[in-house]
Amino acid sequence: MAPLITVQRLTKDYHLTDRREGVLGGMVDLVRPQKRMLRAVDDVSFTIDPGEMVGYIGANGAGKSTTIKMLTGILTPTSGEVRVGGLVPYRQRQSYTRHIGVVFGQRTQLWWDLAVVESFRLLQRIYEVPEARYREQMTFFNELLGIDEFLHQPVRKLSLGQRMRCDLAAALLHEPRVLFLDEPTIGLDVVAKENVRGFLRQAREQLGVTVILTTHDLTDIEQLCRRIIIIDHGKVMYNGLLEDLRRGPGHKLRLCLDLAEPVAPAELQAACAHLPVEWAETEGADRTPVLRHCALFSRSETNAATILAAVLAAHRLRDMALTEPAIEDVVRRIYREGLVPAPEALG
Amino acid sequence: MTELVLTPWRRDRAATLRLYVGFVRLAFLKFLAYRLRYYTGVVSYTVFVAGNAYLYRALYASRPEAAGAEIGGLTLAEMITYIAVAWIGRSFTFNNIDRMLAMQVQQGEIAMQLIKPLHPQTVMLFEAVGEAAFRLLLFTLPIMVVVVPLFDIHGPPDPALYGWTLLSFAMALVLGSQLNFVVGCLAFDLKNINGVIRAKHISLDFLSGVLIPFTFFPGWFQTLVAWLPFQGLSYVPVTIYLGKRTGGDLWLALALQALWAVALFLFGRLMWNRAMRRVTLQGG
Ligand SMILES: Nc1ncnc2c1ncn2[C@@H]1O[C@H](COP(=O)(O)OP(=O)(O)O)[C@@H](O)[C@H]1O
Ligand SMILES: [Mg+2]
Repeated sequence: MAPLITVQRLTKDYHLTDRREGVLGGMVDLVRPQKRMLRAVDDVSFTIDPGEMVGYIGANGAGKSTTIKMLTGILTPTSGEVRVGGLVPYRQRQSYTRHIGVVFGQRTQLWWDLAVVESFRLLQRIYEVPEARYREQMTFFNELLGIDEFLHQPVRKLSLGQRMRCDLAAALLHEPRVLFLDEPTIGLDVVAKENVRGFLRQAREQLGVTVILTTHDLTDIEQLCRRIIIIDHGKVMYNGLLEDLRRGPGHKLRLCLDLAEPVAPAELQAACAHLPVEWAETEGADRTPVLRHCALFSRSETNAATILAAVLAAHRLRDMALTEPAIEDVVRRIYREGLVPAPEALG
Repeated sequence: MTELVLTPWRRDRAATLRLYVGFVRLAFLKFLAYRLRYYTGVVSYTVFVAGNAYLYRALYASRPEAAGAEIGGLTLAEMITYIAVAWIGRSFTFNNIDRMLAMQVQQGEIAMQLIKPLHPQTVMLFEAVGEAAFRLLLFTLPIMVVVVPLFDIHGPPDPALYGWTLLSFAMALVLGSQLNFVVGCLAFDLKNINGVIRAKHISLDFLSGVLIPFTFFPGWFQTLVAWLPFQGLSYVPVTIYLGKRTGGDLWLALALQALWAVALFLFGRLMWNRAMRRVTLQGG
């Protein structure tokens, strides 16, 4: 299948003027401004297939919004190229924007002073949505988002959660091929976030829209995206399946064992000395017998059954728990170590 | 390579018309929501016209030898009519497109316009029409109801001039909104254009002739303003109303006004396109 979105060596520089300190500094600034270049997006390449929902993640200032702005045709890249379905966003803006939907979590595309329904009616005219289709879409949105109850309220009186629901519906009214979401859950409470995620899942299934979603809330990603692209300081750090990231060598599963009798950590660790296992620190000294012991291991090196067998050979077990690495930890590790595991290499 | 699945797209003419009517309507509704703000405006416009009327009465009275005669080509009655019609016209052709555009640029809100298949310049023009429609009904009309009987304002010498005056004011609206769009575009470079806007207000009230008729100024000044676009904002429609332009003069004035409106529209496009190539928008 040919990709829908192709991004090649995309780069964006911003030119900044730094301010010197103090009154004297301010005077010097007038004569000789301090110019500096900031590379917000640095040689980014990726492709996205039709129907995918891809998470574009990174810390604050990583370059997510700048990338989205270039993908939506708002900004012209410094160099590199974007093609979406054969169009170049920033060159064929009028044609292109007909086919996309965009939500910026911190902004709204609705008319602030007017009732929500007025915005929808105008959007209907902007995108030439036939009346019958308009009604179908609005029914669909109402079923999933419950927007009817505030359709006749002015936008400025809506809560953030209500406004976001309206903005999502507004972005999808004209059945775009691609939906860009820049931090759609920012500032929302847990229930509202859950609402948005549920809607996005449904919208993708029923409308078949391709979605790119930026966020720094990794729960969004875990619940919505199979594939993620992680960027940091404008560079792609990882591009692959979320699953593969979890299975990578650096990412440890945690096996916690509750023994029937207290055992000194050193003794238990000796029983597993032949296995590639790290032990999480236990309270008290190595020699103090305790009930709970936690092993960290990588799927690519060993597995829980092998560790259990080694432990059971010498001790009696009462209970156990196996936890996946938290996605936060995995991502934090990538930021810290710049680790880019090659998914193919991991069985 | 990416396949061509998104097709180039153009809105058909009927849909375009419906869309623009939609923008006019929405702007009208938007201002309607803030109509209370305009009540105080009725008072201040009336006070302004009154102040001027008394000033000119005193001026004409101080020259008893010219009683019933003209100063700067206008009789006292014409002078008061000039001021009243100028301010009545201003009350509905005025808008704040420049300030609104600058705010959107500063806060990065302009991004929300760029994600739609529309040209913001065209959108703002039709929003200006919607605003003018609102002003005409809920601002200009109350002002007229007070000012016209209070200062005994008469109609134009020839009733046909009502139509030409209205047409000329309509062009003043387009001209003014395009001028404001150009000024608003400066925000892409300057970020903060409050100073520019203030300077614009002061100089425009002079150069458009709304404050004092050009006939009071020396000849070289009159020649200068005749070549500038600003007289199209007020001086042209008001002098048409007073019957000071007839025949070829009338046509020339209207044509020049239209020409300037088109020129400013094109200049606005140019400014906008240049800005689009270079913009970096704030905020995420
Ligand atoms: N309009 C701008 N002018 C100058 N620098 C900017 C501008 N917008 C963003 N930046 C800088 O570019 C970097 C990336 O910003 P952004 O794309 O907004 O990141 P993110 O969305 O991941 O938080 C940041 O360092 C930010 O300060
Ligand atoms: Mg951002």
